[in-house]
Amino acid sequence: MRTLYFLILAGFVLYSCDKKQPEPEPQDTFISLSVQPKFGAANLFLDSVYTTVEGYDFKILDFKFYMTDIKNNSNQLAEAVLYDFRENGKTALRTIGDPTKFTSLQGSIGVIESLNHDDPSAFPNESPLNISNAGPMHWGWNTGYIFIVIEGKADTLNDGNPVFDHSFSYHIGTDAYLGDFSFTNLIWVKNSTYEYELPLKFEFDKFFQNNGQNIDLKTENLTHTAAGQQTLTLKVLQNFKQALKLN
Amino acid sequence: MKFGVLFLAVFALVSCRKDKVSFQATPYNLEIPSHFPKMDIPSDNPLTVEGVELGKLLFYEKKLSGDNTISCGSCHFPENSFSDNRQFSVGIDGIAGNRQSMALINMGYEDFFFWDGRAATLEKQILEPVPNPIEMHQSWKDAVKKLNLDMAYRNRFFRAFGEEGIDSTKVAKAIAQFIRTMVSGESKFDVMYKYENGLPLSQADLAIFQTIDVEEWAGYDLFKSLNGADCFHCHNGPLMQIKKFSNNGLDATFTDIGRGHVTGNQNDNGKFKVPTLRNIAVSGPYMHDGRFTTLDEVIEHYSSGIKMSPTIDPLIEFAGQGGVQLDAQEKYLLKKFLLTLTDYNFINNPKFKDPH
Repeated sequence: MRTLYFLILAGFVLYSCDKKQPEPEPQDTFISLSVQPKFGAANLFLDSVYTTVEGYDFKILDFKFYMTDIKNNSNQLAEAVLYDFRENGKTALRTIGDPTKFTSLQGSIGVIESLNHDDPSAFPNESPLNISNAGPMHWGWNTGYIFIVIEGKADTLNDGNPVFDHSFSYHIGTDAYLGDFSFTNLIWVKNSTYEYELPLKFEFDKFFQNNGQNIDLKTENLTHTAAGQQTLTLKVLQNFKQALKLN
Repeated sequence: MKFGVLFLAVFALVSCRKDKVSFQATPYNLEIPSHFPKMDIPSDNPLTVEGVELGKLLFYEKKLSGDNTISCGSCHFPENSFSDNRQFSVGIDGIAGNRQSMALINMGYEDFFFWDGRAATLEKQILEPVPNPIEMHQSWKDAVKKLNLDMAYRNRFFRAFGEEGIDSTKVAKAIAQFIRTMVSGESKFDVMYKYENGLPLSQADLAIFQTIDVEEWAGYDLFKSLNGADCFHCHNGPLMQIKKFSNNGLDATFTDIGRGHVTGNQNDNGKFKVPTLRNIAVSGPYMHDGRFTTLDEVIEHYSSGIKMSPTIDPLIEFAGQGGVQLDAQEKYLLKKFLLTLTDYNFINNPKFKDPH
């Protein structure tokens, strides 16, 4: 009987001691794209007042844009990214990835034609192209997505009254106005052991003043990429491309 | 020897322990219209047949109010697209609120709730009206106590959640399950949307398609036109809304600062949740304070009644001239289109009506 007790006790002790040390799980490395809006050397904040060279006070209320087919040659970083400064701050994308595979990046500003006319309800829920995430960034099947949204208010009256007298809305879209970007010799900033960031910036001062292609907030304050708005649409797109840079 | 007896006794006790009874609820098959996105359902509150049934009972359960006189359904009527046809709903103490009851349709697609978006989930939203002193005015403790006295409810909660016990979280979860089944996507507009975008039309859709007249199509064009009514900036896609807060020019100064009250940011003052326009013809009165009783008044507001204020939405592009300046014919056509947004199958669906 003593032997039986001993065996039970020994079995219990042995079982209890069989606890394995958990093996450390492999840690994923995350890489992120950020876009810091700037005005001059300073960071730009939504709803804050800035002044153009023409002396117009303005404030940016909304700043959003799509980037699609972001890749380094055959390595795709992301199919689509929706940058929404008000909702998500400066982070455009955070995903698992290897920064050494992305020493340069090319892609489109806007939504490439092969995605632009798909059913927006059919994209996976987590896709920025899904209608639930796109929301106002989707116009309709024929027109597709709005590629760039910059909205704000301006005070262009020299009347001493600090009231912002009118709004401005730049809504760029349709396949004809798909933009592109290319950044080379990328230096990913190591934020922590497993976090790397590629910091971009968007210079609003350059957006409004681009070497003779200035956007005059007083007279050029509205485009929906509609017929009759091609000139401003193109200017907004070109200035946008100039303003988006490595930080 | 004594040790041996003790060991056997413990072994016997453990072996005889009564297994806990459990119940596995039946997954609910939610039918989503073909042109709708997939609904994100919280992983901690999946839809089940038992949960949805319970949620429906609770939605219409007057025991949730302090004097057993009102339920959720007392301010959200099916025939009004689960809104209230009164400007302000009235609670058990006869006190009226200061905001119009929002229509409860396609809520499973929402990211924030209430006119000011103060609730981040449907479950959190549901927790508010019961203890609210101007609504159902009853502590959750008392509400749960009343439900616990009812054996049928105890059984239903057990079947819905696989465990015994009732609490406010489970009540909210069950009602949320029911509300998530309230999907509306069978209006005339849905057929127009599908046709316009090359999506397949069913036989039923084709029959409806034949009934769409030129004025309704013209109204739809006007609705989307940037130089027309310009509605689609804030009301687009299959859900007929966008997810944002907007100051749509109702007032030059605000008596209710809306979203600003939640965020404390003065740039949000006067902004309210952009609602869906689905079933708009039956869900009046309109705006966060129910100030407009008819669609004509709403159209007139956007046509000529816009008031400037510091936070007015820049998407209201003709605010400086008071609105989009529609003529009488345009107003008529726009209204014709707005009427196509009524989903009669939804508002008459017995699945959503009071089971008591």
